[in-house]
Order: sequence, then C-alpha cells, then structure tokens
Amino acid sequence: MPTAIRTSRKRNGRMARLAEVLPGPAMILPAVVALGIFQFLPLVVAVVNSFRSFNPFNQSPTGWVGLANYDEIFSDPGFQLAFVNTIAYIVIMLAATIPLALFLAVLLDQRLPGSTFARGAIVAALAASEAVSALIWNQLYDPRGGMFNAILAAVGLPEQPFLIGDTQSLLSIAAMSVWKDVGLPMLIFLAGLQAIPRELYEAAALDGAGPWRTFRNVTLPLLRPSLVVALFMMTITATRIFTPILILTQGGPNGATSNLAYYSYRLNFEFMAPGAASASVVCMLLVIVVITIAQTWLARGPKGV
Amino acid sequence: MSTVASAAASARPRRRRSAATRLFSARTLGTVVVILAGIVFAFPIALAAVYSLKATQDILSDQYPLSLASFIPLRPTLENYQTVFGPLNFQNNILNTLIAATGQVVMAVVCSTLAGYAFARLRFPGRDVIFSLLLLASFVSVEAILVPLYSITQWLGLTSTYVALFLPFACNPFGIYLMRQSFREIPVELEEAARLDGANVWRILFSIAIPNVLPALATLVLIQFIWAWNAYLWPVVIMQDPGKQIAQVALANMKSFPNFPMDGPLFAGATVITIPLVIMAIFLQKYYVRGLSSSGMK
Repeated sequence: MPTAIRTSRKRNGRMARLAEVLPGPAMILPAVVALGIFQFLPLVVAVVNSFRSFNPFNQSPTGWVGLANYDEIFSDPGFQLAFVNTIAYIVIMLAATIPLALFLAVLLDQRLPGSTFARGAIVAALAASEAVSALIWNQLYDPRGGMFNAILAAVGLPEQPFLIGDTQSLLSIAAMSVWKDVGLPMLIFLAGLQAIPRELYEAAALDGAGPWRTFRNVTLPLLRPSLVVALFMMTITATRIFTPILILTQGGPNGATSNLAYYSYRLNFEFMAPGAASASVVCMLLVIVVITIAQTWLARGPKGV
Repeated sequence: MSTVASAAASARPRRRRSAATRLFSARTLGTVVVILAGIVFAFPIALAAVYSLKATQDILSDQYPLSLASFIPLRPTLENYQTVFGPLNFQNNILNTLIAATGQVVMAVVCSTLAGYAFARLRFPGRDVIFSLLLLASFVSVEAILVPLYSITQWLGLTSTYVALFLPFACNPFGIYLMRQSFREIPVELEEAARLDGANVWRILFSIAIPNVLPALATLVLIQFIWAWNAYLWPVVIMQDPGKQIAQVALANMKSFPNFPMDGPLFAGATVITIPLVIMAIFLQKYYVRGLSSSGMK
C-alpha cells in the first residue's frame, strides 16, 4: 500500500514535470519543422547536389562527380563575371545608399515643412513590389523615347543607352534599387537620431560647435549602432538583387548585369544543369558567409558594439 | 576705446540678424530639398498611375519629346482598366494573390506566436541553442537558395499548388524574433498571478500573453501581407498553372506580349496592385517601420 502511494506520487511528479517541460518543444515544433525543411535543408541539398551529375532530360541524379561541377563553373567566364558583379552590386549599393540615407534621415529629422510628404514617398517606394518597380523603371529607361532620355534631351544633355549600355546597365539596375531600398537604412538612421538626447546638441551649441562639427562629434558616434545594422541590412539587400535583373535585362548585355543568384537560376532553369547550378549556389552562400563574418569582425569596434 | 565699444555695440545686432537670415535661408533651402526628395521618390509610382489613364499609343508617343502631355493625361481614358479586368481577367490573379497572402499571414501568425512565446517564457532543454540556430536562417534569402528550394518543393509534390506559393516563407526568423521580443516586454507578474490561480500554459498564452502583444501582431500581419503581396521570384519558378498565377507575375507577363504593346494595361494593373498597398503602408507606417527595423535586428 505505501509503495503504491509512493509510485503514484512519483508518477504524478514525473507527469507534472513533463507537463511543465512539454509545451515548450510543442510550441516551437511547427517553426522548427518549417525552417528545417525550407531554410536549412536547401543548404544541404545545394552542397550535396553540387557534387553530383544529373540527367539533362529528366533532372534525376546519375552519380557522384567530385569537384567537376566546380571546375566547370570556375572555367566559365560567365561565372567569373557574375561573381565580380555580385561584389560590384554590394559595393555600389553600400556606397550610394548609406550616405544618401544618412543625409535624408538628418534632413527629415529637422521636421521641416514637407517632411511628412517626403517620408511617405520614401516608404511608398519601399513598400512597392520589386516587380512593379522594375516594370515602371523599364519604361523610364527605354533608350528610344523613355522619360529619362526625354528629360536629358530637354535640358540639352546627350541621351544614354541605360539598360543596353555595357557599363551603364549594372549602374542602372543599382540606381533603381537605390531608389527602392534607401528607405530601409534611412528609417534605421531616423530611429537612431531620435534616440539621441537633445541636451547633447544644446551642449554642443553652447560650446560653439557649428553644424558640421556637431554632426562629426555628436551625431555620427552615437549613430554607430544604427550604422552597423544598416550596413548588414544593405549588404544582404544587395546580394538579393534578382527580380530587377530578370525583368530589366535578363542578365545582359553579355552578362554585364548578371550576378551569382541570377547565374545559378539560368544554369538550373535554362541550361538544365542542376549540378553546376548547385555549385554556383554554394559559391554564393560562401560569399554571403565571408562578407557577414568580415562585417561582424569590423563592426566589433573599439569598445565592441 | 569708446569708438571700439560703440563699434562692437553696433556690430552685435547686425551679426545676430545675419545669423537669423542664415538660419532662415537654411530652413528654406532644407524645405526645398525635402520637397524635391519627396517628388523624386513619388515620381515613378505617380507616373504609373498617370500612364494607366492613357491609351497605349499615347503613352508611347507622349513621353518623348518632353511636354506637358508627358506628365498629364490630356486624353484620359479607362480603356486600360477595361482590358485588365475584361479579357485579361486580372481579378483572377488578384484573387490568387489574396489566397497566397492569407495563407502566409495565418501560418506566420500561428508559427511565430507559438514559437515566440516558447522562446520568451518557457524553459526547456536546448532552448537558446535552437533559437540562435533559427535566427541564422535570416541570412539565407530566397534568391540564394532558389534552386535547391525548387528541388525540395518539387520532391514534396507541391509544384503548381497554392500551398507552394506561401508554405516555404510563412515561418520565418523575423516573425519569431519579433514575437519573442514583444512577449518578453510583458511584466512577468501578470503571468505569475494567473499561474497561481491554476491557469495552465495555454490558458496564459491565449488569455493574458496574446492580448498584450496586439501591436506586434499587427506589425507581423502587415509585414507578412506586404511580403506575400509583393512576391514575384518564387511564384515565377514554382507556379506553372496560369489559372493559379499571382498578380505580380501576370503583370510582368504583359511586358512581353508578342508583337503587341501592352503598356496601358500594364500600368493599369500596376496601379491596381500598388496604389492601395502603398497607401496602406503609409497610413500604417508606425507598424510597418517597426517591423522593418526589427527585421534588421534578426
């Protein structure tokens, strides 16, 4: 009798502990399964498939080929161009959006008349879809009779090829992306600026600091955390440029606007080469990993942000 | 001595006035720049709305050379809208977008709320490790994993289904992170009191925790809806049934109608799916911006 009571109490205790611990794993289960299948499994599949050969007609795996897929893409000038362009998009986007976003944020923080309108317009560009944005800009960029060339002609400047120009095409796609995405770092900076105590500015004014010195010595150092977040976000955004390429140039002219994401897409869906496409996906993931690690290392800062 | 003093006395007001004019002119200049920036950013979307009211031939002939007609529909017409909602059956594509967006929002809310609460409040082995691992997924974009994601979805037999349009993205680290942060901001005492009254975890979640994070839920719903509404790349790849295709892809297909310029209908369609969304984002800016900035902290 006493043993029965003890075991039942023990069982109750275990049940109670289980009831306390179980809801946690149960609640995260949908998230873990979904992210496992659709975010992490693709990474594994990309790596595995990059070492395989495939039947070009039905896309079924036919065997293991070691590094042959990597050899194939590394010797392809198209891959080399896509790799360089991936870096070029990142560099151009960061160089253009970060200063512009900072400028716009400082400007809007002054609460001048028209700020609500400008902020609304920038949020609108951010909320509009990439596809619609690209379709509109496609019209603006039209080399024969587009709005941009009409404006250039009206002010007496030479007309430009834009999307069909060898060097201008990548810049044109980047310019559209800057218009669309500069709101993201701007909103981050705006939130950062509003968190800076007004007394600091008053103290700087009492010390006789001009606007530029105040900006250099008060605003910029205190914006450092926002700057780090904005850099991370814009780097990811720049590696994601894809829809504008697909709609505006299909990677052309002669691969001048293709990047690694677009290159992998074409290998897989146009050239029916899943193995080489997977190798290219792995390269792109490595680029993202290396850049992220480098930025994390650089962003530690003197006191570690 | 006295001349110096009088010179200083007369100089001071003048200097103050010049500082005031400089401040005034700086404000004027700033205002001009702000309004110009607003116009530049609003221009492409506004122009699409203007073009939607022009016949295709007028769009092509009016934009070059530059004239008043380039910016204003001098012969406004609704024929583009009639084409879009008539022979092109664009309303069917919008319905498909709404189906995918609803699926994505519902799944995101369920997944993120449950996981967010567990990571914020419950104790179980491996909690923090799993949370950090899930956050790592935020570095993986659909653009980067398009090819393997396609193989997996194909292998699951989901190609060209409605579910395939939203299932892969419905659960994302952004939502989990957002909800976790919001649940952590609720005072623990609220939940402790309910626990002492004998409420179990699920009761506490539904009757105390969730009612306290409604602003975060609004952010989650808004952001997921906008993401689903704007999705283009994944539907292009995974949806091969034109009857189930979403609005963004159907719209982009109008660009390449063989031998037939469709600029008018294209801009009408673009206006229909963009203007309401953009107005919603502007009016709900508080929630939208909160979501965007926490998607950066992920």
